[in-house]
Amino acid sequence: MVNKINVKKLSCYYNKKCVLNSLSINVVKNEILSVIGPANSGKTTFLRTLNRMSDLEVLFSRAGEVFLDEENIFDMNMQFLRRRVGMLFAMPIPLPMSIYDNIVYAPKRLGLINKKTDIDALVEQSLKDASLWDDVKDRLHTSAMRMSGGQQQRLCIARILAINPEVILFDEPCSGLDPISTAKVEESMLELKKKYTIVLVTNNVKQASRVSDKTAFFLMGKLIEVDKTDTLFISPKEKQTEYYITGRFG
Amino acid sequence: MMKLSPKLSQKLSYMLLFIATMLAIIPVLIIIFLIIKNGYSAINWKFLTSMPEDGMRAGGIFPAIIGTFAIVMCAIVITLPVGVCAAIYLNEYAKDNFLTRLIKLAIVNLAGVPSVVYGLFGLGIFVMFLKLGVSIIAGALTLSIMELPVIITTARGALNSVPQSFREVSLSLGVSRWQTIRHIVLPNALSGILTGTILSIARISGETAPILFTAAAFYVPRLPDSIFDQVMALPYHLYIISTQIPNMPKNIIYGTALVLMMMVLTMSFVAIFARIYFRKRRKW
Ligand SMILES: Nc1ncnc2c1ncn2[C@@H]1O[C@H](COP(=O)(O)OP(=O)(O)O)[C@@H](O)[C@H]1O
Ligand SMILES: [Mg+2]
Repeated sequence: MVNKINVKKLSCYYNKKCVLNSLSINVVKNEILSVIGPANSGKTTFLRTLNRMSDLEVLFSRAGEVFLDEENIFDMNMQFLRRRVGMLFAMPIPLPMSIYDNIVYAPKRLGLINKKTDIDALVEQSLKDASLWDDVKDRLHTSAMRMSGGQQQRLCIARILAINPEVILFDEPCSGLDPISTAKVEESMLELKKKYTIVLVTNNVKQASRVSDKTAFFLMGKLIEVDKTDTLFISPKEKQTEYYITGRFG
Repeated sequence: MMKLSPKLSQKLSYMLLFIATMLAIIPVLIIIFLIIKNGYSAINWKFLTSMPEDGMRAGGIFPAIIGTFAIVMCAIVITLPVGVCAAIYLNEYAKDNFLTRLIKLAIVNLAGVPSVVYGLFGLGIFVMFLKLGVSIIAGALTLSIMELPVIITTARGALNSVPQSFREVSLSLGVSRWQTIRHIVLPNALSGILTGTILSIARISGETAPILFTAAAFYVPRLPDSIFDQVMALPYHLYIISTQIPNMPKNIIYGTALVLMMMVLTMSFVAIFARIYFRKRRKW
């Protein structure tokens, strides 16, 4: 068991207001850590700090350290960090271009590929890994805006896979999807953890119990409890966790 | 007071709004109609492509058309890159601090400065201080200074219309800020910038005051050789022939006005159609 991400006393503030309070947590390599908790408990802030997207916001400030393979991410070049830590947003956001171009956009900009045959192979592989290839292989050059929500979300996954990151962050990736699309996304997550380390924020407690190895419960900017998913769901140590997962929590 | 029934008040307010609209449109239509009616007889190929003759009372307006074209094109070539770069800086890079807000405020207000003020500024700076003389380049620089705030404002609007989420996605994939601007923001803002530019060209083509002291000549019997030459310009030529020259044939005055008006209107329509076209093709 190797720790991929090591968060040490991380505190985050928006406009001096504390939204994450001295958080310490580990994410093990090739595991899925899911983060559950009510709205505004700081889950998104936590994720966006892991690839430093929150550092782009003016009102944001932070304290503490986050290590990715023993290296402090706050000392790293942001672009290199984001290449290693990909992020999937709650709403699927295809770029306004074709399916094909959505996949190759970042690898091209980052100079990862040049040869046309390599590019085609990359597109095919990424779409297959995101289980989207069969849906779209005949219309790779049509606009990505004209796909269903579930397909768009899988395209966004494929787009991240194309830059071959080490960690993938999911922020409520199924909140806008129907049950069948959700099942497909969950399926691909289980497939993905063989190669990647995953942090999954979800508002769906059942989803956490279905896919994750460990589960963390956040409440009002604090980490209340983190444990093996089975343990946490069967015998939570904290009363608040129990209330939340049994749905007795406001 | 008697209370109006909802139906009647609906009708009344509709009438009122309709009348206000007509008041705005009718004078414009009358002007266009008068110019066409009095001017079309002067318009022919020779009028558009030959030199003025007989103290401008006959012949054509070719040098004035060329002059206006030269000044306006020079002005846009200067304004567009500077304006777009400034807009990119203000929108995508500048921190939101006091200085930035001051600059943004100044830009909005500069658009309201009377154009004759720019003309005098151009005379002082470009013609006299920089010793460019009365020339195409001095006039173009003056028009550029005048049009910059407008171009910056339209370019910023176009940049703002590109959803923030596209930038976030691009950045989250490890793509740099500049590449994001270059490959995501600019291509999607281009249509807005383009239509804004066409409208700017239309607007500055008709300006007289900024070129009055900086570029325009009363009469130049030949075409310009370089950007350091004085030129005739349509709006100024129109002013001269309608006020300074006795026994000026009426149809030439109106004909000149018609040419100027058609230039401006055509460009405005091109801008409108470009906007419709791009809106239809927009992918989000
Ligand atoms: N960009 C922002 N600016 C100011 N406050 C923010 C911003 N994003 C989040 N917050 C605040 O931070 C707190 C945590 O938000 P968030 O991390 O989005 O929680 P969650 O994802 O668990 O719903 C909330 O109180 C929210 O109002
Ligand atoms: Mg959230």
